Amino acid sequence: MAEGKTITLNMGPHHPATHGVLRVEVELDGEIIVKATPYIGYLHRGIEKLAESKNYQQAIPLSDRLDYASASANNMGYCTAVEKLMGIEVPKRAQYLRVIMAELARIMGHHLWIGTHALDIGAMTVIFYAFRDREMIMDINEEIAGYRLTPTFFRIGGVAADTTPDFIKKVREFVKWFPKALQGYHTLLTENKIWTTRTMGIGPISAKDAINAGLTGPSLRGSGVAYDIRKAFPYSSYDDFDFKIPVGEKGDVYDRYLVRMEEFAQSIKIIDQAIENLPEGPVAIDSPWITNPDLVSVQTDISELARRFVLHTKGPVGPDKEVYHAVEGAKGELGFYLVGDGTEHPFRMKVRSPCFYLASALPRLLVGHMIADAIAIIGSIDVVLGEIDR
Amino acid sequence: MVSATIDNREISVPEGTTILEAAQKAGIDIPTLCHHKRLPPIGSCNMCIVEINGNTKPVNSCNSPVEEGMKVATDTKALHEQRVVNLKKILKHHALDCPICDKAGECDLQDVVYRLGVTDAPFEPRENPRIAEYSTSLIRYWPERCILCQRCVTACNAIKGIGAIDIKSDGDDGQIVVVDADKCKSCGECLFVCPTGALTENLSRYKGRPWLENRVETTCTYCGCGCQLQLKVMDNRVIGVTTDVDRGVNQGSLCVKGRFGYEFIGDENRLTTPLIKENGEFREASWDEALDLTAQKFSSIKEESGPDSIAGLTSAKCTNEENYLFQKFMRAVIGTNNVDHCARL
Ligand code: SF4
Ligand code: SF4
Ligand code: SF4
Repeated sequence: MAEGKTITLNMGPHHPATHGVLRVEVELDGEIIVKATPYIGYLHRGIEKLAESKNYQQAIPLSDRLDYASASANNMGYCTAVEKLMGIEVPKRAQYLRVIMAELARIMGHHLWIGTHALDIGAMTVIFYAFRDREMIMDINEEIAGYRLTPTFFRIGGVAADTTPDFIKKVREFVKWFPKALQGYHTLLTENKIWTTRTMGIGPISAKDAINAGLTGPSLRGSGVAYDIRKAFPYSSYDDFDFKIPVGEKGDVYDRYLVRMEEFAQSIKIIDQAIENLPEGPVAIDSPWITNPDLVSVQTDISELARRFVLHTKGPVGPDKEVYHAVEGAKGELGFYLVGDGTEHPFRMKVRSPCFYLASALPRLLVGHMIADAIAIIGSIDVVLGEIDR
Repeated sequence: MVSATIDNREISVPEGTTILEAAQKAGIDIPTLCHHKRLPPIGSCNMCIVEINGNTKPVNSCNSPVEEGMKVATDTKALHEQRVVNLKKILKHHALDCPICDKAGECDLQDVVYRLGVTDAPFEPRENPRIAEYSTSLIRYWPERCILCQRCVTACNAIKGIGAIDIKSDGDDGQIVVVDADKCKSCGECLFVCPTGALTENLSRYKGRPWLENRVETTCTYCGCGCQLQLKVMDNRVIGVTTDVDRGVNQGSLCVKGRFGYEFIGDENRLTTPLIKENGEFREASWDEALDLTAQKFSSIKEESGPDSIAGLTSAKCTNEENYLFQKFMRAVIGTNNVDHCARL
């Protein structure tokens, strides 16, 4: 190739290593990336717009479909935002159950990340173990919510159902089993020469740059910034639990890897505390404006019957007010900006998607690296396009 | 103009404005059941109660005018509790009919129950059940759903000036009774204003639910008044007609034809092509063929017996422009003054 001449290459939108329909246009000088531009929008389903025509309860399944790899964590974000809008305090038992579901979802999301990230770099074995363990969480989801990937277990004001004995049993089994499995992942990767060579010193970002780029979640913590919304602005009783925020130092692919590996362990610690100290009590608030009257009382009481009808045909009414509320999703700060207009629908819902900022940081992460490292870097920021495109 | 404060908001309204109207203008939504924009104040439901100058004895805002310097509170705890008590009185014998009630989903009563967050209103059957009788066979009266708001009676009297129905009260209870069924014009004014499913339309009963129907805005085709109405459409079939008090010259009113005469739209016996009679039998034909034949017959009749042997009768369903063209055609093309109009349908 002539001196100074570059070629342009499309990675994606159907590239297995772009983790969904992300297209990155890279300009190469030989094997070195001199310019990288991410293109998004291939998975746009109009989720924000759809939420404007659904009532507050109906929009919950939409939130599952943002970062579908960790659906319950999005439920947490959406429901707590609506509850902030409506001024609802969720019962303690529901808060704990939500924490269990959200942390399981975080682990599920990290399973998908570790499996595909390692696969991309050539370590094929990991994904089989990761998916074996992810299956256990899917079973837990199925047990309590009926759905495996997108359980939609949260409701405005609480959760959909109380625990079953099998649910408790399965969660305990998983809590007991998973640390051993995690040790297995470490054995496969952490000191693996190929793995460390492919990841150490690749795609580093300084703490300052990471903050400026709006990075949050494990990708920010990999650069040494101990910012986690569960600690910084605790919601849903997170301040009841003892857990640590793992951070990295160099902000490279390897540090981001270590952070997430430790998050697996911390999440298990939280789930363990929540399931063992699960408070007694109701799993949803009892409010005539939100709670669905049960099918027994509607047969003898017109007020219950009429309210059930209104809640089903129209939905719970929200106030004329706006709120922003963020939670720590599996990928970072997942925020919901809701503008209520006194009806059953939000006037506007804006999702602050952590993955959007992660993908926007790709140009500065990729430039200067070899094309083969692009695969490692994209894997290390762990984007899910369902959340970017919405 | 008089000035006052409602819920700490300064307002200034023309003399004679009711507190309810003034509040609505200021964007304060007081719950109501019997109040209707088209009707004079009734004051039967006691939902719109407010406190004036801190006086704990509440008054109905729908029929109390704003007075200079008045301080009105519309949403205190005491008012809320009183409203719930009043509403529970209304709900006491109310049938548990929502699942089969045509109004469910757009029922004012349901909405007020939700809005006030009423709980614990167990159904008690009436000792002497009310009688389901109505002045017209097009409307069905469901007495156990009736909340005695009197909108229907007021509409029949105040909008129509007919008085075919009345309220028979009986202590705390009562019901709607027919005064003179012969006077009833089946206009459906009472049906339109009824806030609940106590009056439902007989033809469209059980055919759709408000949240499943498509509402298509249109103009009535029966006469040249041009009343605005909405067709309720389900599965591509018209299953009913409704109106909106804010739309059109009719302000929600319709006559018997506009409100109930919609079944022809989907009738199987409707003609879909022109028919030509040959040897005593009709056969289907194309428009070209039918128009050619008509033109040819007109010409030959005119030739044989003169233009005055032909007469034209047009329809009130046509617009003015169409009727103008029709008489022009009769006079200028056929050459006759024999033009008439059905004048009514
Ligand atoms: S009138 Fe309203 S509250 Fe009564 S049965 Fe019908 S829908 Fe239900
Ligand atoms: S249909 Fe018309 S005339 Fe008959 S009772 Fe109702 S409002 Fe009166
Ligand atoms: S029939 Fe309808 S409008 Fe008439 S009093 Fe009963 S609820 Fe009110």
